Amino acid sequence: MSLKREQIAEALKKIVGEDHVVTDEQVLKESSVDRFRRFEAYHGVYRLPLPAAVVNVNSTKDVAAVIKFANENKINVVPRTGASATEGGLETALENSIVVDGSGMNKIISIDTYNMQATVQCGASLQELDDRLREQGYTTGHSPQSKPLAQLGGLVATRSIGQFSTLYGGIEDMVVGLEAVFPDGGVTRIKNVPRRAAGPDIRQVIIGNEGALCYITEVTVKIFKYFPESNKFLGYTLNTMKTGFEILREVMVNGYRPSVARLYDAEDGSYHFSHFAEGKCVMIFVAEGVKPIADATAAAIEEIVAAYDECEQVDPKLIERWFAHLNWDPANLAEEKTEIIETKNVCNTTEISGNWSIINDIYEVCMQRVKNEVPDLTLLGAHSSHSYLNGTNLYFVYFYNVVDCRPEEELTKYHLAIKKIIVEETIKAGGSMCHHHGVGKHRTQWIEAEYGSSYYILKKLKSAFDPNGIMNMGTIIPLEK
Amino acid sequence: MNILVCFTTTPEVEMLTDEDWVIDKNLQIDTSFLKPTLDSYDESALEIALKLFDASENIKVPLELNALTIAGSGANIILKTLKALRFKRVVRIDSHEDLRFRPMAVASVLTQYVLKHAPLDVLLLGRQTSIGENTRTHLLVAEMLGWPCITQAIRIELVDRNHLVVTHQMDDGRLRQRIQTPCVLSIGDAPNTYMRVPTLKDRLRSGKRPIEILSIKDFQLSDETEELIDLEVIHHRRAGILIEGKSPEEKARKLYEGHLKGSVPVQER
Repeated sequence: MSLKREQIAEALKKIVGEDHVVTDEQVLKESSVDRFRRFEAYHGVYRLPLPAAVVNVNSTKDVAAVIKFANENKINVVPRTGASATEGGLETALENSIVVDGSGMNKIISIDTYNMQATVQCGASLQELDDRLREQGYTTGHSPQSKPLAQLGGLVATRSIGQFSTLYGGIEDMVVGLEAVFPDGGVTRIKNVPRRAAGPDIRQVIIGNEGALCYITEVTVKIFKYFPESNKFLGYTLNTMKTGFEILREVMVNGYRPSVARLYDAEDGSYHFSHFAEGKCVMIFVAEGVKPIADATAAAIEEIVAAYDECEQVDPKLIERWFAHLNWDPANLAEEKTEIIETKNVCNTTEISGNWSIINDIYEVCMQRVKNEVPDLTLLGAHSSHSYLNGTNLYFVYFYNVVDCRPEEELTKYHLAIKKIIVEETIKAGGSMCHHHGVGKHRTQWIEAEYGSSYYILKKLKSAFDPNGIMNMGTIIPLEK
Repeated sequence: MNILVCFTTTPEVEMLTDEDWVIDKNLQIDTSFLKPTLDSYDESALEIALKLFDASENIKVPLELNALTIAGSGANIILKTLKALRFKRVVRIDSHEDLRFRPMAVASVLTQYVLKHAPLDVLLLGRQTSIGENTRTHLLVAEMLGWPCITQAIRIELVDRNHLVVTHQMDDGRLRQRIQTPCVLSIGDAPNTYMRVPTLKDRLRSGKRPIEILSIKDFQLSDETEELIDLEVIHHRRAGILIEGKSPEEKARKLYEGHLKGSVPVQER
């Protein structure tokens, strides 16, 4: 017989202590959603089942005990650290879930500058870790826009990526080893070695699991030497995204690795760069590393771009200053909340990826369809911010005025309607529907189409590691009723 | 009722880093690479004007919105937005002069514009900009026009073709007055006045209407009675105490015991 919510809370108090179990109704409401439903939340609308409790865990032992209890009693667990998720991954889809908050596990355990790796608990702040490293001349190389908010456990769980990914890679390239708790309460550690060929790379079972397989409690990431004094910023205006993709491709296939390679369309660019590039696409590069490499990378990029007549170089200071204010901190979130409530103008995003041969087609068809099919748009644009040897990503950004609908209808009328177009067009073209935000709970309807015949592997992972179905149900794999 | 909102674009100084705060001999910092933005008081003035327009449609009072700025072409992006938001005339008096500390000159230009483009009934201005901060332009323009001026306006209601009800903030409260146009209203810290955002369709519809561009040379900058002699930076610094502690709880306890106890009401639990 399933436990009642009061029984769950009482049992949790016995496991981790009374002070670490929160059952305040407002906290439970706020913990039933993430930023995906922020418009509803700003209006006090909470429609999902409230969790039975939020548990603030302080150790791997706590996590193991709580998850074991949940597994034995078939209670859904939603793992959480920085709570900056945007795709519904932190939503409590089932009644009486337990939200396990690891933000208190925030220790930086070690910074090993000889072996070039740092080990932290899941709740360690990325900003704090990177600030500590930079004081010593090192960096994680990881800088997502959520850097001031995000914590390492969540970043690894969602396969996060940062603004300097073209040089340093995504989080999957940075993680050396891990510790995680699986549903039976067992603690798994994957050791920190440079590489091994001892079977499949099992780190990748954990990285990107979005809390649907296990709870990440500790992470070891690579660190890099940091040479900010060599940074070179390059900015260009140009007429079309098609040309921009060609240039990005040329930079990548010739083996250059700027830390930043970004391409904004005119609409998205108007939001950021109207003071110097009104009506134009904008392309940005940052070359970094030791000075000879940074200089050579910048020079090579300049040479590549110079061959395109439509590109005009802009003052690097314009780029440098813009870059310094790209990240979101709690003050930005508070301001956004006030602004959204007053103006009912909401911004959302959907990020996808595709090979070079299809990326411009995806861009064009999505822009056209969204503009034609979705009402009340105030801005629709896109940028590429992470490039690879074989392709790049596209980050669609859209603002809309919420008109003639209740807060609970906003997602269906706008965000999900746009997401559907972008996801379906991307999958149809052969790209991936998720580049770096994770699947969460609102792209699960396309997960089979995303994986095709390899969906079998994903399903098996879920049933093998989470046979009782207690780990963040409804995330990555849709709930079956 | 014809309303003219006068606004200033200012560089988004939040984008400056500490290293950028290099003040030259004219007490200028280089802001040429910053995005122009609306000051918050001007944004409030524009949104209040739009709210009046909404109200005018409900109570069937004819109302026309116009917007004016004295600026370089960087302000065009804001003027385009205003066009899409139903401002009928959007005007830029093209100028690259540094008018930050010349409120008399700005007021004289605005006055000349208003007199030339009569009938204008209401002039709305933000009370000050984040650069300059002289808080005088609205008073000077009212004096030059011979119109009454209400400062620190935070709410304006449309009554009829010639009357408004203006709520304005005073030191000891709020005053609500019915006033007759013409008048100058200086907008203070008005709540709920983030400016709305036009849709792409609004922008498309308004796209063909031009921004009117005038030259500053066509106006007399009448501020010969004032001359800027010197500027001095006033450093607003206050003493601070860093509370050390091993945990937030310990820091909070020290804050309370050492600094707040007895001076703040304690809620019984």
